[in-house]
Amino acid sequence: MRRTRLAPIAAAAATLLALSACGGGGGKSKGISPTDALDHPLTSSITLWHGYTDVEAKALQTLVDQWNSDHPSGKVNAVFDGGNDSALQKTTAAFVAGNYPDVAYEYGSSTNNLASQSKLVDLTSLVKNTPDFNWNDFFEGERLASTVNGKVVGIPALQDNLALVYNKKLFEQAGVATPTNDWTWQDFRDAARRLTDSAAKQYGWAYVNDGSEDTVWRYVAMLWQGGGQILSSDNKSPAFDSPAGLQALQLLHDMAVTDKSVYLDTGNGDYLNLFNSGKIAMLWTGPWDLSSINSDVDYGVTYLPAPTGGTHQTISGPDVYMLFNHSTAATNTAWQFIKWFTSPEVDLQFSIATGDLPLRQSVTTLPDYQKFLDKYPGDKVFVDNLNNVKNARPNIASYPQISSAIGQAVQAVLLGKADPKSALDSAKSQVEGILAGSG
Amino acid sequence: MTVAVAHRRPPRRVLPSGGRRARRADQLAGWAMASPAVFFIGLFGLVPLVWSFVLSFQHSNFQTSPTWAGLSNYRALTHDPVFWQSVRQTLLYTVLFVPITLIGSLLVAAALNRKIRGITVYRLAVFVPVVTSTVATGVIFGWLLDPNYGVVNSLLEKAGLPAQGFFTSTREALFCIVGMTVWGWLGFGTLIFLAGLQSVPKELLEAAAIDGCTRRRAFWSVQVPQLRPVSAFLVVWLTINALQLFDEVYVTTKGGPLHASTVVVYYLYQQAFQFFHAGYAAAIAYVLFVAILALTLGELWLTRRLDRDRAS
Amino acid sequence: MTTHIETTPQHVQPGVDDVPAFRRSRRRRPSAWHLVLAPLGLVLIVPLLWMATTSISTLAETRRFPPGLPHSVQWVNFLTAWRQSPFGTWLLNSTIVSVSCVVGNLVLCSLAGYAFARVRFTGARVVFIVLLATLMVPFQVVMIPTLLIIKDLHLVNSLPALIAPNLVTPFGVYLLRQFFLSLPPELEEAAIIDGAGRLRILTRVLLPLMGPPLTTLTVLTFLNVWNDFLWPLIVTSSPHTMTVQVGLATFQSAHFTNWPVLMAGTLMSQVPVLLLFVAGQRYFVSSIASTGIK
Repeated sequence: MRRTRLAPIAAAAATLLALSACGGGGGKSKGISPTDALDHPLTSSITLWHGYTDVEAKALQTLVDQWNSDHPSGKVNAVFDGGNDSALQKTTAAFVAGNYPDVAYEYGSSTNNLASQSKLVDLTSLVKNTPDFNWNDFFEGERLASTVNGKVVGIPALQDNLALVYNKKLFEQAGVATPTNDWTWQDFRDAARRLTDSAAKQYGWAYVNDGSEDTVWRYVAMLWQGGGQILSSDNKSPAFDSPAGLQALQLLHDMAVTDKSVYLDTGNGDYLNLFNSGKIAMLWTGPWDLSSINSDVDYGVTYLPAPTGGTHQTISGPDVYMLFNHSTAATNTAWQFIKWFTSPEVDLQFSIATGDLPLRQSVTTLPDYQKFLDKYPGDKVFVDNLNNVKNARPNIASYPQISSAIGQAVQAVLLGKADPKSALDSAKSQVEGILAGSG
Repeated sequence: MTVAVAHRRPPRRVLPSGGRRARRADQLAGWAMASPAVFFIGLFGLVPLVWSFVLSFQHSNFQTSPTWAGLSNYRALTHDPVFWQSVRQTLLYTVLFVPITLIGSLLVAAALNRKIRGITVYRLAVFVPVVTSTVATGVIFGWLLDPNYGVVNSLLEKAGLPAQGFFTSTREALFCIVGMTVWGWLGFGTLIFLAGLQSVPKELLEAAAIDGCTRRRAFWSVQVPQLRPVSAFLVVWLTINALQLFDEVYVTTKGGPLHASTVVVYYLYQQAFQFFHAGYAAAIAYVLFVAILALTLGELWLTRRLDRDRAS
Repeated sequence: MTTHIETTPQHVQPGVDDVPAFRRSRRRRPSAWHLVLAPLGLVLIVPLLWMATTSISTLAETRRFPPGLPHSVQWVNFLTAWRQSPFGTWLLNSTIVSVSCVVGNLVLCSLAGYAFARVRFTGARVVFIVLLATLMVPFQVVMIPTLLIIKDLHLVNSLPALIAPNLVTPFGVYLLRQFFLSLPPELEEAAIIDGAGRLRILTRVLLPLMGPPLTTLTVLTFLNVWNDFLWPLIVTSSPHTMTVQVGLATFQSAHFTNWPVLMAGTLMSQVPVLLLFVAGQRYFVSSIASTGIK
């Protein structure tokens, strides 16, 4: 519903001057950059904001309780912050209000904006110089998402990737061979066509078509598979208007407009319910959806299909824990907690409890790792698929606008409103304008 | 047949008798009674308003100190095709939403202003959309209007009509949002009109009855004119809200497809919280503010003019 | 005349028409208005019906499309919503905040609304327009500076922070002003001649006649404050100050929404508003306005 969401006039003038001086964060964004290992005795408790719910929230709390009983002088207060979707707004507002947390879970896409926050703790030295931390043990995609302009701004909290999830029964019924890790785009397109039955309102594939990053990142995976890039290596000009970019849009056009084998989801997540109801045969989705697949649906997971002469690259969307400075003592506790929480053994416990993918490569070598695989058979391919994450989206300030421009192009092609070439050209000139303006 | 009591002089300020002392007393009384409201609204409404106005002349990403931008945000707005598209679409939305909701509410209130059995249930039903969360409303309308699996399209197909794209169609998306918001606001308008109808002084209706007036005549000649201040309020209130449409777009189309349902506040939200152009968003807000203020003042002036014309 | 559709007595008789409907039911045919109101009512409550059926479904049942009816009634969802979280605390917070705002609005908007409607004081018109103007900038823009003010008042993360900005709203002032304007000025003139002050006129003469608008303001203020999400979200930071709407976000995350529990929680959170409405609209009943006239 509607929000609502004189002395006042004099006070307003005074406050106004004060406010405009304060702005959002105050001061230049130097950040706090600890160079010592921050392994002092714990003297301060901290607050951690997260958007976990349900199973993940319980798993987090269990581990936090364990830490708290072992470290009574450095307790962690884990607080639900109203959900991850609004975490950035909430944290931003908290800097203004002064009640910001010591640690906050943030989307990877928020790291660029928060990187300029003066209260952020710059972790670059810490991750490189802390013994046994093994920064390179984290998967490459995570490390790229946690880094802005060479500065490490967060520690990986969650990662995922896109793989092909399919309904075994629908394949059986249609007599189509099930997907394999070696599938090509052609195999994929043919299967989708054969699994589409317009009379039964059944579709071979579903694509989220709301113009948001959800629309873009699937396209980006296809772009990378063909050897393309979103931007040039210096991030100054668009590079997606290449043959790789064009062939990806062409496939989307062929499947959605020519074959009509694609269900276009409006962003409300109906594709999953339809998958559960046997109306969609294949999805390109991540591990988070596995727990929402009903038990009566027999599904399989494979790598994404590759274009001819291309690779099975996929895309990942890591989230991070970011540390904000109140005092050295608090940052000391925060760093030690996060170090512990993301250590291989503890992370494995979290993964076993939640089904979230392991954050570190070494986790897959631990003896109890098999427990994870046994409990979540669907996750095996997702973990292997992490090796197919070779690229990351540019972590620059103008990325959200660039994404929006590309999203429009993809949306237009899927709706049949533009042909791939003109959509691509239009997006390219928009992105040129964006990059030129954002000096 | 005329209803003698129907002609009323429009409400006017009461001049206290008693000359200067009474007028002085009124000055004090007026300010005394209005001050608490003025203070709170001033503090929490006016101060942020002015602050945001300053922000519109700055570049800010919320995290670092803003830098001075002068008029560049406003200048950029004039070249922004998506902004102008959002303006057109917002105006189109408002021009549809306000009259439909206003007249619809009046009719429904009239229908509900009677003592038939079960009227409480109907009144409750009308009020329910006001209480239903926007999220739930978005989900339901998304399902009902789904192009493939929705109820509405299957009914259309059964009737031999072509299936529509609704939220996925660039031509229809905005109209679907009109429908959804009229549905959501009808109860609000009805509530206000019901209160207005119930406030009609009994003597007027009795006099009308004695004059031999039918119910329908009485409605249009006695009750509706009494509703003028309330109607004026509703027009202004609905307009202010229509021009600031956001929630329903956010939970359904997210401004799409291809900006077809992008309205000004949604665009503002994108600029502020997705692209981190806080100053630009504030500039958009202020252009909107000027438009709303102008429209509101226009509507207020118009109703006063109509009142005065009626009196003569 | 021939088209009148209500079988009330042929002519108005004061006193007779105060009799409750059921007493006269023997003489009534069912009103033809049901033919109009029933379908309208049904259309209007479809989302509520969906919320209700979802709240008693299992999670697996809600993950089908198109949605269908549940096979059994899962009351456990309501229990889960209540127990999995400090739901009771949230309800208490929401209640305290909403009731405070209602009281504040009733008192302060009546005072200000009357002042702007009937009392002549310099600057009234300008001040009124300025108050209205504060409604014309979307909340997303002003929420950060509002937060700064709360911070300067040292009220961050407290219930007063939730109450203060909504204690009196331009909506309430405007609404009551309009209703005061629609009351006949003659009512006041008599009192003025008797020498009554403005306050007395307001409380003794006018407010008793403002039942329906005051009830409306109560219901709508309560509703708006109760359902507010964004402001409580950014101003509270601990579970014991959260309101119900922010708390309900616990059942939703980026990729997973526990629809049955969320809908159960949402329904529970809407019960107070609906009850308030039912209680309020009983107060609306005005016998003469709904009598049949030949």
